[in-house]
Amino acid sequence: MIGKEKLFAKLEKVLAQSKADQTEIVFIGSESALTRYANSYIHQNVAENNSRIYFRSVVGKRVGVASTNSLVTDDLKKTLEDSTAIARTQPENPNFPGLPKPAKYKELVTFNESTAGTSPRDRAGIVKKIISRATKKKFTMAGSLSNSTDEIAVLNSLGVRAYQPVTVASVNMIAMSDTSSGYASGTARDITEIDFDNLAARAVAKCDRSQNPKEIKPGEYEVILEPPAIAEMMEWLNYVSFKSKPYQQGTSFLSGKIGKKLTSDQITIYDNGLDDKSLTFPFDFEGVPKKKVYFLDKGIARGVVYDSSAAFKEKTKSTGHALTPDEASGGAMGFNIFMKPGKVKREKLIAGMKKGILVTRFHYLNGYIDPRNSVLTGMTRDGTFLVENGEIVGGLKNLRFTDSFLRAFDSVIAISREVERHDSWWSAVGCMTIPAVHLGSFRFSGKTDF
Amino acid sequence: MKDKLKECIAWLNGKGVAYADCRFVRREKESLQVTDSNVDSFSCDLNTGVGIRVLANGAWGFAATAIVTPAELKKTAAKAMQIAKASALTRHEPVKLAEQEVFVDHYRSDCKKDPFAVGTDDKIDLLVRVTDVLKKSKKIKTAEASMIFYKTSKLFVSTEGAEIEQDIIESGGGYYAVAFKAGEAQKRSYPNSFGGDFTTRGYEFIEELKFLDHAERVREEAIALLDAAPCPSKETTIIINAPQMALQVHESCGHPTELDRALGTEISLAGGSFMTVDKLNKLKYGSDIVNITADATTPGGLGTFGYDDEGAKAQRTPLIKKGLFVGYLTSRETAPIINQRSNGTMRADGWNRLPLIRMTNINLEPGDWEIKDLIADTRDGIFFDLNKSWSIDDKRLNFQFGVEAAWEIKNGVLGRMFKNATYTGITPEFWNSCDAVCNKNHWHVWGVPNCGKGEPMQIMHVAHGAAPARFRNIKVGVNK
Repeated sequence: MIGKEKLFAKLEKVLAQSKADQTEIVFIGSESALTRYANSYIHQNVAENNSRIYFRSVVGKRVGVASTNSLVTDDLKKTLEDSTAIARTQPENPNFPGLPKPAKYKELVTFNESTAGTSPRDRAGIVKKIISRATKKKFTMAGSLSNSTDEIAVLNSLGVRAYQPVTVASVNMIAMSDTSSGYASGTARDITEIDFDNLAARAVAKCDRSQNPKEIKPGEYEVILEPPAIAEMMEWLNYVSFKSKPYQQGTSFLSGKIGKKLTSDQITIYDNGLDDKSLTFPFDFEGVPKKKVYFLDKGIARGVVYDSSAAFKEKTKSTGHALTPDEASGGAMGFNIFMKPGKVKREKLIAGMKKGILVTRFHYLNGYIDPRNSVLTGMTRDGTFLVENGEIVGGLKNLRFTDSFLRAFDSVIAISREVERHDSWWSAVGCMTIPAVHLGSFRFSGKTDF
Repeated sequence: MKDKLKECIAWLNGKGVAYADCRFVRREKESLQVTDSNVDSFSCDLNTGVGIRVLANGAWGFAATAIVTPAELKKTAAKAMQIAKASALTRHEPVKLAEQEVFVDHYRSDCKKDPFAVGTDDKIDLLVRVTDVLKKSKKIKTAEASMIFYKTSKLFVSTEGAEIEQDIIESGGGYYAVAFKAGEAQKRSYPNSFGGDFTTRGYEFIEELKFLDHAERVREEAIALLDAAPCPSKETTIIINAPQMALQVHESCGHPTELDRALGTEISLAGGSFMTVDKLNKLKYGSDIVNITADATTPGGLGTFGYDDEGAKAQRTPLIKKGLFVGYLTSRETAPIINQRSNGTMRADGWNRLPLIRMTNINLEPGDWEIKDLIADTRDGIFFDLNKSWSIDDKRLNFQFGVEAAWEIKNGVLGRMFKNATYTGITPEFWNSCDAVCNKNHWHVWGVPNCGKGEPMQIMHVAHGAAPARFRNIKVGVNK
């Protein structure tokens, strides 16, 4: 950790030397570590100390971006000069609105000493206990446990000064027998909030109950999708439909549909970086404060997230969802996706199902088949079960689903009142917060051999 | 830098480690993107640091730093040792490495025209002109063209005495148009989807792609897709064009032949493999005409290099020979399990990542057919072109791919166009149904710059030599 004062003192000096009309610096400093295990031993164990420093220079309506991972002052100056030189070589971009102005940010506690101080030996000790849960049942265990400390800062020549230190701890685990597997995961700013033993017990129980799985014919079934399965669907929908770019290109299922009812009125999906049920974060990578944005509200299409440039095209305001300057051409993206919980206790979802399939998670989803109609495909993985008369009766071999999210989520029977956090690749600044959902109709299009 | 790394290695040797390597990487990147004739993004990046891998107490530790002072390197080396000792707390058997020849060498990739020396104006002008052509119809809602260039310098030093320098240039680019009408959007790309085509060559590769020669066709095909019929649902004969064959090889042969996956050490993210060790030299993976090779020496391939990231020389290894599964991608740690030496596929996505078994150039070797003869020989089928979607199960058996465009084949002639076309299958059944592969006239090494694997995630640059190929009795048209 460099710390706010020392970091700003260094970056302010560089910012003051810019010859561009407007200049922005985005800093991401990271100390991260990850312990990976498989076949019940640690086989990969890594640590990294790195920084990313992005300069965005604006000359008229010309924009140049240069970045480095060196904090040496001369390297920072050179990178700033490079970004200005790039800006000068370009034609004007009429869609660039200028850099954001200063704003106030919600005060959030996102740093935790326990997570920051977790050592390789601490991680190995936790992993050893996770593995022992599987060993007792003669299963093996695979997964990873990570902890990271990041500092994120945004400064610009118009006066934006944003800084936030964050920590994240995440774990995933797959218990494995010869014929089955079971999954559990957790993520938190404070590593002590993760109940590793309970998660390991859940993974082992799923593995145990799905041993010697039976085959079931692909077709249309009632399903209960557990939070990891829905989080994986949301990750894709976030990418192909909730971002500003696909919405503006017309490929999002929300394009041209605002105000129209698209799913069951039990479905509300939104982004909220300020809700502490998620991994909160107060601003985006342009230094714009986070706003709550509804994608679907009681099944009705409401909108998408915006950064400054995407908002300028729509004659609206940024919602605080800009990516880093090097990724900005991809448009704004949600980082804290929520699906609103329902009123049913999670265990009652199974009790309410006469015949259907319970899906723990999906593997290798893809949402590019027909994004306008929200068609997704993917495989079930690590715990797929047949439910009959309100009880799990055994494991099933994995299935491929190919279905429209809008069609399937128009058939909602019930949603759990409990939600779970699931991390994603942007875990430093957000996560998915998701309930379990009982759907009346879900289309499985194929099967596999295990 | 070499002296700093050697000093670090000497310090680790003094600490009695079983093995260690230090890897310095400096990577420059330039990327340009033009959207609808405006420069949407122009950025450059410099990323430098050192990764240190240590084998101590029979287990691995890895630590990396962006600060390359001698004091920081020693601190990072000590951290890697501390991590290795923590790993040993759950150790079953101590890690053993296969013997390997020690090299002192300097490898440089082939580059006729340094892309970083080509004028910015020339690059932007080409991309703007492409999107101008694509946007000539009002039915095109968005047109986007891009180029990316990398210049990577690596230095690898090990406790065994290896000193290997590598300088590799990569170039790539492509474009797409999105046509829109009455709530429907369709996309068409050139030369491949998802960013185009990539190579370990210079700017001469961009010039050879002749972007402008294909822009009108791409525009008109995107528009035509709006009124195309949906792909029918049935079992039929399919011919898959070369770029989609590249991805087919990637997902259903490249990944399952990674020995670390087959041994279960990738389970936590990307899964395992149905091609387990007991099936080596026994599994009839494909028909007799299917030959697939891992070749890190393919000229210009995006998976081409001099040495892998644990110092093994680039090699060519058969994976599938006349349909039989005969080989894996291996490392020094995994190769002894199948009584072999490493075939040089340990690659890291930068200084800050641990080397993993990764694809190099995984090539479907060319067959005998001319494409026109193959289509003429097909009475009833569908021709699939350019990937749009991909999905495969966690043992690499059940797959489903979608393409940007497909065409009906009737009595040996390409007919009407289909949109949202998909095909699905089970890997060995699919490859055993292959009855034709086109010849070297239609064979090209397609760069894939976005192969994900590992935790933390590593994005690797790999490639696949492929030609169009025909498959019988394939299920098509599953899309809702």
